[in-house]
Amino acid sequence: MEEREVKLSVKNLKIGFKTDAGKVQAVRDISFDLYKGETLAIVGESGSGKSVTNRAVMGILAGNAIKDGGEIIYDGQDLMKIPEEQFHKLRGDKISMIFQDPMSSLNPIMRVGKQMTEAMLIKGKINQRESRRDFNTLMARLNKAMDEARGADDKTVCEENKRMSKDFDKFEYKHLELENAYNKAHDAATEMIVEIDDVLFRIEKNAFKDVRRDIREIARVAALAVEEYVVKERAEELNALLADLKKTVKVPLTHKCKNFVRQLLNRGEGAQVKGDENWEEISAKLKTVREILSEAADKTMPNFFAMGYFLTFATEPLPQMEVAELNKFLRKYLDDNFMLAFIALAKQGVLYSNAKSIENKKTALEVIESNIGAFRQQDLVKKEVIASAKTVIAAVENAIDNLEIIKDNVLYTFRSSLKAAVDLYFDGIKRNAAEEKRFAKQTAKAERKTARGKTLNYKVADKNLVDLELAKEEILDCITRAADDIKAHIEKNGSIDFDARVVDIIDYLKAKASGVVHKVTRRMAKTQALKLLDEVGIPEARKRYRQYPFEFSGGMRQRIVIAIALSANPDILICDEPTTALDVTIQSQILELINKVKVERSLSVIFITHDLGVVANMADRVAVMYAGKIVEIGTADDIFYSPAHPYTWALLASMPDLETKDKLEAIPGTPPNMIYPPKGDAFAARNKYALEIDFEEQPPMFQISDTHFAATWLLHPDAPKVDPPKAVTDRIARMKGLRKAEEAVEEKPAASKKSTAKKPATKKSAAEKPAANKKAPATAKKSTAEKSTAKKPAAKKTVKKDTDNG
Amino acid sequence: MDNNDVLLKVENLCQYFKMGPTMELKAVDNVSFEVHKGEVFGLVGESGCGKTTTGRSIIKLYDITSGNVYFEGQRICAGIRSYKDAVRAAKAEYRQEAGEVKKLIKEDRKNGVTEVRAEYSERLKNAEEKLHAVMVEQTANIKSAKFDDKYCNKQYAETQMQKVRENFEPQLAALNPESAEYKELEKQFKEELRLAKKDRIMNKMQMIFQDPIASLDPRMTVRDIIAEGLIIRGVRNKKYIDEQVYKMLDLVGLVPEHANRYPHEFSGGQRQRIGIARAIILNPDLIIADEPISALDVSIQAQVINLLNDLRNSLGLTIMFIAHDLSVVKYFSDKIGVMYFGKMVELATSDELFAHPLHPYTKSLLSAIPVPDPDYEKNRKRIVYNPIAEHDYSVDKPVMRDIGNGHLIYCNEAEFERYKAEINS
Repeated sequence: MEEREVKLSVKNLKIGFKTDAGKVQAVRDISFDLYKGETLAIVGESGSGKSVTNRAVMGILAGNAIKDGGEIIYDGQDLMKIPEEQFHKLRGDKISMIFQDPMSSLNPIMRVGKQMTEAMLIKGKINQRESRRDFNTLMARLNKAMDEARGADDKTVCEENKRMSKDFDKFEYKHLELENAYNKAHDAATEMIVEIDDVLFRIEKNAFKDVRRDIREIARVAALAVEEYVVKERAEELNALLADLKKTVKVPLTHKCKNFVRQLLNRGEGAQVKGDENWEEISAKLKTVREILSEAADKTMPNFFAMGYFLTFATEPLPQMEVAELNKFLRKYLDDNFMLAFIALAKQGVLYSNAKSIENKKTALEVIESNIGAFRQQDLVKKEVIASAKTVIAAVENAIDNLEIIKDNVLYTFRSSLKAAVDLYFDGIKRNAAEEKRFAKQTAKAERKTARGKTLNYKVADKNLVDLELAKEEILDCITRAADDIKAHIEKNGSIDFDARVVDIIDYLKAKASGVVHKVTRRMAKTQALKLLDEVGIPEARKRYRQYPFEFSGGMRQRIVIAIALSANPDILICDEPTTALDVTIQSQILELINKVKVERSLSVIFITHDLGVVANMADRVAVMYAGKIVEIGTADDIFYSPAHPYTWALLASMPDLETKDKLEAIPGTPPNMIYPPKGDAFAARNKYALEIDFEEQPPMFQISDTHFAATWLLHPDAPKVDPPKAVTDRIARMKGLRKAEEAVEEKPAASKKSTAKKPATKKSAAEKPAANKKAPATAKKSTAEKSTAKKPAAKKTVKKDTDNG
Repeated sequence: MDNNDVLLKVENLCQYFKMGPTMELKAVDNVSFEVHKGEVFGLVGESGCGKTTTGRSIIKLYDITSGNVYFEGQRICAGIRSYKDAVRAAKAEYRQEAGEVKKLIKEDRKNGVTEVRAEYSERLKNAEEKLHAVMVEQTANIKSAKFDDKYCNKQYAETQMQKVRENFEPQLAALNPESAEYKELEKQFKEELRLAKKDRIMNKMQMIFQDPIASLDPRMTVRDIIAEGLIIRGVRNKKYIDEQVYKMLDLVGLVPEHANRYPHEFSGGQRQRIGIARAIILNPDLIIADEPISALDVSIQAQVINLLNDLRNSLGLTIMFIAHDLSVVKYFSDKIGVMYFGKMVELATSDELFAHPLHPYTKSLLSAIPVPDPDYEKNRKRIVYNPIAEHDYSVDKPVMRDIGNGHLIYCNEAEFERYKAEINS
């Protein structure tokens, strides 16, 4: 499997809530990773802790929440431990959330437009400042590495390096200015093409009334497309056409106005008010406009990066030639004069920095080796531990390679996690003493009372002790994890592609520079908001911008919430049951929208829902939660085609689909009270497959395949063989049968070809992705088949059945 | 379903809401259907298409604008807009006719003819008579509609009382007025008569609401909530009420201990069960279930559907099931009506509708159902319904047409032919 970038990683998260009745353990020790550009769906009943997990990620837990432990690591920070001020920078900006009920997450007395632009305006300035800062720090680091690589003493070399960096800085900004102007014009052109198509369609369908306003809008926006590299040769023609359109098409008057005008003119019914435009002429004009625009939109885009350099530094004017040729020329000019030299320099710097960090890593390992004794003692000595912790932290942080774009989470969070672990241990000693004292006092009191013959109407609360052994293990764990990570880095060192890394750095600098140039004014925020409204599919954005939330229907309101969540361009989008309150058509529109945005911006999405149909649509991976624990996690194919946990079976069986005829198998009973979570498997009481051990001991996570894990004793080698419920096996068989039938139909035309050529031929018709997906279950099954000889009775049965049916 | 009695018949139901001085929102527009005894009638459509309004209009939570609703053969709702429109049209026709005649007379005067010709006065008289006939007919219609709308419950109570009288009076007449037996029977007779007097036809129809939290009074115990209907109906026997409440709790899968609790102490699924218990305590014939499961978890949804299914079999209920989750509707209903913007666009038995969806809106609705099958889902293409592009109703107006097999579809002549070809191919 290819290694993917982990965006967010949750480790051993435990969260409780203080209530009058006692402590509710909402989330009990869950761990998962979220990769870049994937959708992780979290499924479960209400009260299973799925929302609480994500509120913890957002840092918006209720006031009575108790963070019992665990880590949420994002971008080199542990979100469980950072202060609120730091969270302000992440929340909404990097991690956004869409809530279940759109009405309660919008402000009822603020216009939609203001709500959308509010955050943009506030965030805009901060963003600019931070981008500038990030740009400068990385540039400075690169500079330093470059200097040191070539010998820091040499003054002239330093000067040269500095000049190069400055030049890069300068022309990068020029590039962005040019590109922004181009994008604006190009976007206007492409958008108006779509709009004109729509208007022409409506003219054909005789729906004149609505069209006039749109034509005027087209005339206004299409004029923006006039730019040097978009509409140039036919600019005058376009402008003349648009002006003409504006003149001929008049905006229709509203009902009240009509009456007023009628009175004024004192004429008969609606005279002069009805449009008497020549529609054939207008549509002909629109067609020409469309032709000009589409011609412009198809042009190749000039290389603005190179052009920026040329315009800033070249003394001669820009040569007049075709765009493709111009691109070649500019590219060559840039490479010759600057880029190759810069890349070589940067590569030197990166190589040097890497070598240095490897060196540091080796020393860090030594430091850990020599200091680990302090943590291994029977009883830890505070002074000693803190001193050695300090040296270890210093050594590890020194070993971080500054020029890595993708931050190494283990090393970056080493300080905070080690500190937390050490604090837990030493605070634990104090707390345990206090707790023992309280318990002794209260039991003594209770005994006195019973001795006097009173019956107690309360129970003495159990001792709530910190497990010092566990805390100690945690400290050691933390250190060994860092050591392992460092070792892995040293091992991997030979295989790093430094050219790619340099390109990454330059891309990062470009992105940050665009953040600096991207200035948010009130007007820009408005255009951006209007664009977003369009993007999420709200018609008449201009009119809607000035309305209040109550004037929207449920689906539209949810779209606005999505637009607000997207306005900050987040990294991670958390969707907390965004479609539960909506009906199917709107639901599938919203899901399509989220999917589209996800692909466009390569977002990572956490999708919380209890609807398995929606999950099948959205998810790359699925985590099934029950009573605060993840009971099964795997790819969507794993979960739907070879589910292993009884709870997943029950969920699948209780949902009717279009073929269901038999009585539904509802899950009996209700979820357990989480103030007193059951000792064994939480689902045992409602589970007809429960074994005796389920009531006594919690099952560990059993691995079924590389991606598929489930926590049920049924997967234990000694467990009896159990079949999933018939409804589930039937459905899986049906789904497979359906696919078989489809493939057979597709194969027929290709039957004359060789049998080896069959598979690619059938898959060509579908997109590439599903083809990859189809392979996944097969490989997963193979590995299960290998392992399952003793280990996996239930899943094996499913596989067997499938083959029977197939 | 051998019993083909029509339990509920809806004729041209229109429900308009006023929006401002001149605008009207046609929430339900000319909807007609029949629900037979013992069947489950599903009503689907996107939110805002008027399916809930239809349910609420039938149970008289709104005064309907036009059309008739018959329940067990008796008219319970009647709107008068259509009659008024007929009167207006007749008046306009008369005015036109009179205007024409007057013009002719004027011309005659100009030409020097002073006398009114006999044919003109004849025409005028005819028009007047025609108008009068329409007026008389429609006024009678309006009167009866208003009467039925207002007094349907009273009429029903009277028939019920009549039934009780017919039942008891011969028995009483046979007995000696002095005997203890007679007094016993007389007491029973009076009690039954009192109950019959308070009997309402609308009690035979009950509603389960969408939101189990909002539809239960937070300040009443579960016992009060469930028993309220019985108390309003005039039952005074506390023991009998308790018995009934416990029986209902048992039926919906709760225990008698729950009776003394308040709604907030229950989970969503249990709350919905309380709502169902409240609906079935009066022994209704028809239950209107307005999205009873859309606010619930998947596992609980299955419990509630199973419960409704069991009740339907054991109590012989007829259910009108309003929902937007098509897979549930398919599973649960015998007959399905698809609504779009206040109009019924397709009406067929459940299997027929899913096997041969004809109307483009139904197709788009079916294509939007999420299915728990990742491969299928990732290749699913949603069909977008755009009424302007699909239909051309500028010349030929659409009506409901039967395409065979009890499959009704809202279309015009050209589309009808196309659908026919589609279903036969």
